[in-house]
Amino acid sequence: MAQDIRDLADEEVMQLVQREDPRAFELLYDRHGGAAYSLAYRITGRQAAAEDVVQEALLSIWRNRLRYDQTRGSVRTWILGIVHNRAIDGLRRSSVHDRRRATLEVVEERFEAKERTDVEVARREEARSVRGALETLPAEQRKTIELAYFGGFSHTQIAEMLHEPVGTVKGRMRLGLEKMRRQLAGGVV
Amino acid sequence: MTEHERHRDDVAAYLLGALNEDERGAFERHLRECDECQDEFDRLQPAAEALPASVQQLPPPPGLKARLMAEVDPRPRRIPRAPLAVAAATLIALAVAFGVSQLGGDESRTVTATVAKAMPRAGGQLDIQGQHATLRLHDMPDLGSTRVYQVWLQHGDRMVPARTFEVGPGGTGDVRLPDVRKTDGVFVTREDRGGARVPSEDPIVSVPL
Repeated sequence: MAQDIRDLADEEVMQLVQREDPRAFELLYDRHGGAAYSLAYRITGRQAAAEDVVQEALLSIWRNRLRYDQTRGSVRTWILGIVHNRAIDGLRRSSVHDRRRATLEVVEERFEAKERTDVEVARREEARSVRGALETLPAEQRKTIELAYFGGFSHTQIAEMLHEPVGTVKGRMRLGLEKMRRQLAGGVV
Repeated sequence: MTEHERHRDDVAAYLLGALNEDERGAFERHLRECDECQDEFDRLQPAAEALPASVQQLPPPPGLKARLMAEVDPRPRRIPRAPLAVAAATLIALAVAFGVSQLGGDESRTVTATVAKAMPRAGGQLDIQGQHATLRLHDMPDLGSTRVYQVWLQHGDRMVPARTFEVGPGGTGDVRLPDVRKTDGVFVTREDRGGARVPSEDPIVSVPL
């Protein structure tokens, strides 16, 4: 084992987690807990619900640590994917009204994390960049993507909600992601 | 319409989690066999995976990590010193009576508990006999059906959750504890039924060891 596990890359830390090393898991939390909580909060709109989501998701990650396969993506993406699924599962049990409100309204009580480390500064910068890419999309594409990804609505539900054909909704999802991809890849935003 | 044409527009919806269960299964089967859709998937996936980064980055609540690590790591956890320091100020310092004797090679002693001002009639003691310990309390208020008392064992500046309990008639409670010979203190707080992973309040019963 390295002298200081904080010097290890996520994938190496994950190998230690897979050997049941709580310190390595704690390090993963330190690195990605903020992003996990932020995502859960964006989806649920409530602090208590977001905390529950993160706790359940990360515990499931700990218990299912051997399922991580680095050929299928980064540790961060894997963690956030599980947090996303948990949060959406919880959201789907709540009322449509609450879900739509939580998805589309700006939540006033939010406050930004203080920038403490270079990594956090970089993450904030990344967030601004991706948010910028999302905000440059035509409103109907952005709304469709947000309702699906942060609201957990299916394309048929979104079509009903927006009074649009299903094909139109799917098309907006494709066009929106395509435009985001180009902007992120090209460093336009 | 070919199989591919039927699924071509599903890629983005799939990446956003917007397909229903049946559609998802059908699309995943198609994806395994369709190079075109796989290419489209590979191209759009980074955009979908970037979406979590688009949200405002918030600091996780401070207690979240402690609660999580309490589940992950069974060893004693570190908690802030402040609650115990504050607790000390809110407790009535009753006489701490040590009755130490040797019984068959095992240390035996009784330590009187200190209790919060809010419970003027309550009191108790911790009986230690070797590796066995029992916290005996009396005149503790009934907490109703949703709240319970919870015992905490202090190790240095770490607090380990132990069992929860309810009090019987007369507010009595005899709580058997694990070996406390390497424990620095035994504390009690009031928690929601089911117990907590970190104390939610300053201890209302304190037994320094």
